[in-house]
Amino acid sequence: MRQYNRMKSRLIPLLLTVVCGPSGLGAQARPLTPRDSALHALNRLAYGPRPGEIDRVARGGVLRWVDAQLAPDKIDDQTVSRREREFDVLKYDRGDLAQLYAEVQRAQQERKRMGDTAADKPDSSPIAVKGRRFAAQFQQLAVVRAALSERQLYEVMVDFWTNHFNVYFAKGADRFLTPDYIEHTLRPHAMGRFEDLLIATAESPAMLFYLDNWESVAPGSTPPAAMRLQARPFLGRRPGLFPPPRDPAGRDSLRQRALARAPKGINENYARELLELHTLGVDGGYDQHDVIEVARIFTGWSIRRPQQGGDFEFHDWAHDTGDKQVLGIEFERGHGMDEGIRLLKLLANHPATMHHIGRKLCQRFVNDDPPDGCVDDAVAAWQRTHGDIREVLRAILHGPDFWAPANVRAKVKTPLEFVVSATRAVAAEPDTTPRLAQVVARLGEPLYLHVAPDGYPEREDAWVNSGALLDRMNAAVALAAGRLPGTVVTLDSVAPVSADPGQLLAGIDAGILGGTMSANTKRVIGGQLSDISDPVQARALAVGLAIGGPEFQRR
Amino acid sequence: MTISRRVFVKSGGLALFSLGLDPLFLARAAYAANLPAAPFRALSRPILVCLFQRGAVDGLNMIVPHGDPRYYSERPRIAVPGSDVIDLDGYFGLHPRLAPLKPLWDSKRLAAIHAIGSPDATRSHFDAQDYMESGTPGVKATPDGWLNRYCQHDREHQDTPFRAVAFGPELPRILAGTAPSLAIADLKAFGLRAPQPAARDRLTRAFEELYAGSATGLLSTSSQEAFQAVQTLQRVDPTQYQPANGADYPRGRLGKAMLEIAQLIKADVGLQVAFADVTGWDTHVNQGASEGQLAARLAELGQTLAAFAQDLGEKLDDVVVLTMSEFGRTVRENGNSGTDHGHATAMLVLGGPVNGGRMLGKWPGLDPANRFEGRDVAVTTDFRDLFAEVLARHLGARDLSAIFPGFTPDPTRFPGAISV
Repeated sequence: MRQYNRMKSRLIPLLLTVVCGPSGLGAQARPLTPRDSALHALNRLAYGPRPGEIDRVARGGVLRWVDAQLAPDKIDDQTVSRREREFDVLKYDRGDLAQLYAEVQRAQQERKRMGDTAADKPDSSPIAVKGRRFAAQFQQLAVVRAALSERQLYEVMVDFWTNHFNVYFAKGADRFLTPDYIEHTLRPHAMGRFEDLLIATAESPAMLFYLDNWESVAPGSTPPAAMRLQARPFLGRRPGLFPPPRDPAGRDSLRQRALARAPKGINENYARELLELHTLGVDGGYDQHDVIEVARIFTGWSIRRPQQGGDFEFHDWAHDTGDKQVLGIEFERGHGMDEGIRLLKLLANHPATMHHIGRKLCQRFVNDDPPDGCVDDAVAAWQRTHGDIREVLRAILHGPDFWAPANVRAKVKTPLEFVVSATRAVAAEPDTTPRLAQVVARLGEPLYLHVAPDGYPEREDAWVNSGALLDRMNAAVALAAGRLPGTVVTLDSVAPVSADPGQLLAGIDAGILGGTMSANTKRVIGGQLSDISDPVQARALAVGLAIGGPEFQRR
Repeated sequence: MTISRRVFVKSGGLALFSLGLDPLFLARAAYAANLPAAPFRALSRPILVCLFQRGAVDGLNMIVPHGDPRYYSERPRIAVPGSDVIDLDGYFGLHPRLAPLKPLWDSKRLAAIHAIGSPDATRSHFDAQDYMESGTPGVKATPDGWLNRYCQHDREHQDTPFRAVAFGPELPRILAGTAPSLAIADLKAFGLRAPQPAARDRLTRAFEELYAGSATGLLSTSSQEAFQAVQTLQRVDPTQYQPANGADYPRGRLGKAMLEIAQLIKADVGLQVAFADVTGWDTHVNQGASEGQLAARLAELGQTLAAFAQDLGEKLDDVVVLTMSEFGRTVRENGNSGTDHGHATAMLVLGGPVNGGRMLGKWPGLDPANRFEGRDVAVTTDFRDLFAEVLARHLGARDLSAIFPGFTPDPTRFPGAISV
């Protein structure tokens, strides 16, 4: 193992020479200046620098800035608190949103019943428009926070956990449970203890609904409501309003259908993803038997009236009362919900979990193929602090791999990172108009809308494709030209309007690319400027090319 | 430590590529090296179009077993009445809204297969779609899709940026992998956008030079593919396209995607594998029978496929369209006049090379004793048998076991969709 590591670290520079050519090697091998370090830190702990920020961080000391980011509570973030108040969606709790959604549904069904065949056409009723506006606003809120917050590392971690504990905004009740999930389940724990975060997600209605655990019951268990139903054949309806079927056979079939709809047994969906994605990892040493046992432990973890945005509820009647055994550990019968809590604590502090999540964090912050040393550091910090996320981060961010020149600019930005870093680079002020969130979606990452439970991928091969790259170029040109409604761009803070292309290029290189602009990029943008007489237009084009160009796609 | 070892062993097969470099990048670079400088001119060659009905289509109301009384007794509210069904062979028939496809059946260019699906029992949309696209039911760790693996293993046609194209904003799982493939959300908008053509060309050149000179890794190869495609498209001029033979595509995403596929086929840009998807099949509530929710989706599907065939004219002789869906739906209607997640479903195979006018596969019947887990249509054809047949007999794929790892393709199990 160790030998493999050494071989690996020796081979990287060699291969880089072969593949990237001399310019690639030159850029990677030179030791980092304080400005390089500041840019690197801003590219990884933050969504890229704002104008002037590289110098500020370099002057104040990069490691001091890193440590400040690790204590988000102590960072004043008034701008964002002020901006959050503009987002109406935050004034609605999940019950309110559930009600809104129910109204939209009713209106839609009404439309269908009236024979409106254009079911595909977006519903233009005021209530439906409001529903869509809230959803879009919530997506835009993620972009605004990422762009404007001073607590940059915290926002990066919120994005990390949003994908790690992915839910799908468009699946049934998650249409109204997701905002609450982000605000009150993930955000409060994003830099706390992993165990608390894990338990919070396990108890969240959004996750219980998304991975179907709310319907997972011990085989043979009957909900109290269905027992009543057996006693009262009218399904609780008021007699007269919907007359019950007269014949006993009809009554039987009604009852049968109601019972047929009721869940009949365990659902493995959450159990499997809990082990595979949330904690141990796919190679974490569990098998199908463990999945079933975990599902049995979580029988009864459900939601009170999910269609009304209800809270977590443990259903004793649905809980499997037998003994269980997970990863060879006995879970004695009769402990109800505590069995699940005990299991979550065990999983949160399992070595495989430390390794799995430590590796994912190193992948996020250091390299798509994380160095083993980084993962070892993360695991050691996890062990030492019982999963204090900020101490795990501190170990990674102070580690040698994070600062190794080979890992600088080794990552390609995700669509969210690209759009937010571009927004920051041109000091743009986005409002609640969901335009930036739409750009992120167009580039392939519609927020909260990844259907599968694995969340949006971290690796560059998922994001770099021909169409997506062209779209990034288009988005860059549009942003720089001020063509994105609701996004006020102030290019003056990047570079003053200047008739001198050299001065303009220098300003863009320093302000947007942190001094990494290649000779080729200088030549190409310079050439484009030569015959544009309007200096304002020239500046917008130069900024658009710089943001859409290859250097800015990396971080 | 045991965990590290496991990870190490697991990545051992990729050891050559895992030394800090992206395997995709290296593989793509190898492809790019072989791209000719001159624009490509294609000869007649086989093309496969895959159409994914996401959400699990109700195969029983798409291809209706109207000859089975059980179909009617299990679906009192949503069965398509026998008088409405367009009979195919006395037992099965088309949903009435698929009427535009009947002439293709009669001219033996359309076949349908029932009781097809996955050997995996999952009723999760996510998992089942994933399996159908990766081509490895039950195995989630497969990194690439089977259409991409076909492109990786059959490398005779690697001379065009348009070899494999997905119509949509994202590259779907089925085309993910090391072989180059384009994702095109809108053919007309593929490329740089600017108010005038001159400004657009200038912007295109500027970005092309930026990436040619400074991009590294996957950014370099992907941008190269993009600009080659943009260049080819300029010759094609997608804004000027008029469907031929009076073909009338329905409005909407599906019609647009198939129109653009037809356009690329006729433009001879080297398209070999195309993919489009269409949603709205998850009919849990008020599914409808001859009319209604599902009928509207089927109408769109039928009109689109008919328009596509008409538009292509003789070119259809080189083309096979394969529809697929992650699973079927319950035989019995549910309490909401809909259907829940089931097991096997039906698929359509359309095109000149198709052994058409026939129902394919082995029909297990609707007898509860023969159903999967007592409730759903049982799978009698593994979807990989159909996909493998189309790859082998239509596209000429040779290494099927590399395309469907863990599966032993056996021509005696091929359902016989392609004329030989």
